[in-house]
Amino acid sequence: MSAKSEDAIQDKIINAIKKIPKGISAAQMAAVVPELSSAELVGAINKLLQQGLIDLYKQNGTLIYKLKNQSTQQIVKGADNEEKVVYNLIEEAANKGIWIREIRNQSNLSNPQLTKILKSLESKKLIKAVKCVNASKKKVYMLYNLEPDRSISGGAWYQDQDFESEFVDILNRQCLRFLQQRADKIRNNPRGPIAGRTQSYATAVEVQKYITDLGISKVKLEVEDVITILNTLVYDGKAESNVYPDGSKVYRAIESLIPPPGLVQVPCGVCPLLHKCYSTGLITPQDCKYMTEWLEQ
Amino acid sequence: MSHQLGRLVSQILQRYFGEIVEKVGNDLFMYGIKPIGMIMKTTGLPRTQVIESLRTLLKFDLAKFESTSGNVDYKLLPDNVLVLIRYPRYLLQMKSKYGTEAELIVEELLQRAACSATLLLVSIANKYKDDTEKNLTIVTLKDTFISLATATYIQQAPVAQLKDGSDIPDLVQVASIVPDLDTRLLMQAMVNPADIKDNVYWKVNYDRFHQDFTDEIMINAMTRRIDDDAGEVMRLLIQEMYLSSSAWAEESNVVALTDLREHASRLKDRPLLQQHLEHYLKVMEENGAGFIRRAGDAGGGQYSVQVKWAARQLVESVLDHVVTERLGSKAARIFRLIRAKKYIEEEDIQKNAMLPNKECKQLTYKLLEEHFVSVQPMRKSQQVSGTQKGIYLYHVKLFDVVHVCREMCYRALHNLSRARSQLVSVHARALDKQRRVRTIVHGMRLRSEPQKNIDDVLETLTPPEVSLLAQVEKQLKQLSAAELELDRNLFILNWYLVYP
Ligand code: SF4
Repeated sequence: MSAKSEDAIQDKIINAIKKIPKGISAAQMAAVVPELSSAELVGAINKLLQQGLIDLYKQNGTLIYKLKNQSTQQIVKGADNEEKVVYNLIEEAANKGIWIREIRNQSNLSNPQLTKILKSLESKKLIKAVKCVNASKKKVYMLYNLEPDRSISGGAWYQDQDFESEFVDILNRQCLRFLQQRADKIRNNPRGPIAGRTQSYATAVEVQKYITDLGISKVKLEVEDVITILNTLVYDGKAESNVYPDGSKVYRAIESLIPPPGLVQVPCGVCPLLHKCYSTGLITPQDCKYMTEWLEQ
Repeated sequence: MSHQLGRLVSQILQRYFGEIVEKVGNDLFMYGIKPIGMIMKTTGLPRTQVIESLRTLLKFDLAKFESTSGNVDYKLLPDNVLVLIRYPRYLLQMKSKYGTEAELIVEELLQRAACSATLLLVSIANKYKDDTEKNLTIVTLKDTFISLATATYIQQAPVAQLKDGSDIPDLVQVASIVPDLDTRLLMQAMVNPADIKDNVYWKVNYDRFHQDFTDEIMINAMTRRIDDDAGEVMRLLIQEMYLSSSAWAEESNVVALTDLREHASRLKDRPLLQQHLEHYLKVMEENGAGFIRRAGDAGGGQYSVQVKWAARQLVESVLDHVVTERLGSKAARIFRLIRAKKYIEEEDIQKNAMLPNKECKQLTYKLLEEHFVSVQPMRKSQQVSGTQKGIYLYHVKLFDVVHVCREMCYRALHNLSRARSQLVSVHARALDKQRRVRTIVHGMRLRSEPQKNIDDVLETLTPPEVSLLAQVEKQLKQLSAAELELDRNLFILNWYLVYP
């Protein structure tokens, strides 16, 4: 086993334990890393125990592994009191992060001092600064190993705090394509309209799989993300959504109820000058370029 | 009543009835209600002309009169003026539903505004006596007339009644009685039109046509949304609905599944529909934009047609198209989002519409500027913090937006009409020449003069003139087609506004 994959396995285990603060049993842990033999697993666990990353407890006769409290574990190394205070404040803020001004208010440290401490913590890779999508100038601090909350990072749609509208557009189009492929199933389906409708529906999970298989997304899209995109289709009037009895959402591509109405078929309907066009004056229908062009088509 | 409507109305009046009627109509439109004397004063027209114009307007139902204490006031009915451009649609409807005879009857009746059955049929029969292609007989005409009257596409005109002690008549609506026309008498009348004594007058019942139109729109919408069998179910439902509900009811009375099944079983060419009728109803109820509703379980299920709701959905669909074409699909997304959420803050718009902040704001403000959405400021009263930022909630006032859209239609219609008269006046000489040549050639053909002479006359139109005229003709056609489409558009908007 190479050193790298060992690290990866350790991370995996730690993440699994993190998710369940009450602790997990050895059997659960084996399920997390199924690729390991039981001997290897024991080896990995022992290593973690040695490094003081996890703890072992006995509960109702079974062994339970829990995460060791990190703050006590890491901060001890060569930290002074101020650093501890700041660290604790940041830790409390969890993945929502905390603004530098709030740290200052709550810790009563002077500005230069605080900056220094933050720098030092940052260099030790204990904390990190994250830019906030809502306010581009605002930076928040959080523990190094935390994934920023969606309200801070903006989720999959932001790259370095920039909204990736093209990415959203592409996904929007691809989702629609997927829905349209099956939309016709409802039309004159020999097995009746209800069966046809079911065939024309797509669940968010199906769409997610399709998008993932296409490989157009660098980041992994959660079902939630796909639902966000599918909802834009609903707002585009190109799909309708429904809820299955089991609570999962399904989508179907639809046509608008009527073909384009008369107003948008004439130049005036789409004319930006419509509200400035009078019988006399500079803009009149008598000598309107749009009208002439349209008539000469 | 808006300025735009006024412009459009006078444009239409001018086109159909000429300048004088237009002047009188416009005057009435501007001032609402007026007696003859006042009309003369403001328009500066002599009394005879004013009376003549009013007579035309009254005859075609474009105006009405009211008598108050001996004075007679006149009032324009702008909505009926707009109906003038809908005539071709009525004719089309007749032709596709009842055939050529019906089309001719309605056409003649529309031209005459009101006419007795005998005179109407006789004049049509005489007009097309020599037309072997159409092959009309007075018998088929009579039958068609009776079926049209039964289906209430035509109805008896109101009768003037004099009240005691007043010489101003009241127009009283009378119930139509389907006439019993004697073929032999009609034949006699054909030979001798002068002594027709029939004095029961008939006119076209627009309302009946409009019902057909709304039905058609609903059926087509279902066909688009689900499939043609669903459209057929909608048709059955509507048929049943008319048996028990009043014409413009907001929601129909319930229709029982058993009745529907019985009707469906007669549609032999739709095996799927017969087999899955209940499933169709269920799917339409859930995925049919709410056009129908399951109203009860008695007898296997009862359904009702949500006409008002359907009109609303259709109007929204119109508006979506308009916003999409005017401001782009992203703006339409925002528009629909705001509508779906009822009241929504700017930030939430951006989050849900998945648009970049700046673009989203721009589009929202554009929508605001064109009056497609409105904004409602809210005050957070208990807020203590210094930065008292107000909340602005966006929402769509559908009723208002429909009015905005209607104004746009008026404008567009007016502009088209204007462009049309412009086109005609620019090419007046060529058009005039063409008309003269055509009359001459027609006369020559009747006198069966040699082809060579006819060709000579035809050649007076030079090739450039011919191609120019062809182009003008094409453009005029395009303008008329667009007008009809716009009228369809207006029709949907007005349909929504029918319901308070
Ligand atoms: S006539 Fe021309 S300028 Fe006027 S509204 Fe129509 S397209 Fe626009």
